[in-house]
Amino acid sequence: MKWNYKEVGLYQESKEYVDSLIIPMNPISFGVQMKHFSSMHEFMGILTMEVEKQLKGRLLLMPELTYWSEGQDKADLIEIWKIKLAETDFKHVFWITSDSEWKRYEDELPGSLLWIPSIRLEHLEEGQARQMMNDQVHQMLDMLTQSWNK
Amino acid sequence: MSKRNVSRRQFLNYTLTGVGGFMAAGILMPMVRFAVDPVLKASASGGFIPTSQKVSELTAEPIRVDYTFDQIDGWYESQVTNTAWVYKADDGKIVALSPVCKHLGCTVAWNTDKEHPEQFFCPCHNGRYTKNGVNVPGTPPIKPLDVYETQEKDGILYLGLLKPHEGA
Ligand code: FES
Repeated sequence: MKWNYKEVGLYQESKEYVDSLIIPMNPISFGVQMKHFSSMHEFMGILTMEVEKQLKGRLLLMPELTYWSEGQDKADLIEIWKIKLAETDFKHVFWITSDSEWKRYEDELPGSLLWIPSIRLEHLEEGQARQMMNDQVHQMLDMLTQSWNK
Repeated sequence: MSKRNVSRRQFLNYTLTGVGGFMAAGILMPMVRFAVDPVLKASASGGFIPTSQKVSELTAEPIRVDYTFDQIDGWYESQVTNTAWVYKADDGKIVALSPVCKHLGCTVAWNTDKEHPEQFFCPCHNGRYTKNGVNVPGTPPIKPLDVYETQEKDGILYLGLLKPHEGA
């Protein structure tokens, strides 16, 4: 389910079936990485949109968690999320990002970190981009359903 | 509304509120759209949409057929790719089922549950449907999968409106 009025309403009505939370994470910057980060954001948007479409009934997709690549403390972010998540009933929490910085925080994150290298879609032909995107989506779907069946 | 003569002042008033009026209309129209049951809504402007599937290549085994169209959803216009599960029934009729699970909307797939072969399976809460799209009792879905209207043109499969299953 998506983070919009209608689907959050659906989530509230069918909470017992929605046991998974997806949190996409993306850095921002006005510096040299600005372009790169914007491309990551696009990639993440398409990826999570597709995954949500496939597994809509069991997960809630949060809006992208955006943070400054420099000057914003990841440990602080994790702390507040820990507190907030403790108030919910989600059994599976998935943090999805292309930002490799998060790998260092993997153990502290409440839930599982899915690190997915970003594809520079703008460098690919349409058909190629679609194919690569499909592969990524499938990998992610596999990861999610596997952790459900564990 | 009854017909009235428009006085000069009213006319001015109307013109002045005109812009706002347009804006209100712009806001209201999409809402009306939202209220229409998506099942009854045409996949795109009521017409049939071509797929890349040759009808002659369809068999009794359901396959995934994609089709792409421009969707205007409230505020956004976007290109959407949707999928149907398509096969030829015993009587030669083409059956095209929506892959959207009638429980909470996950995407079902054909023959992916080893314990229950030859069925549509929903990975979210193990919902199941028989080949003709009817939900298996005892699994979460309470309605059969929606069915697409189909058409054949120049040997190509076209998908039309999505309708509730006849067995429903
Ligand atoms: S969404 Fe398909 S069984 Fe729940």
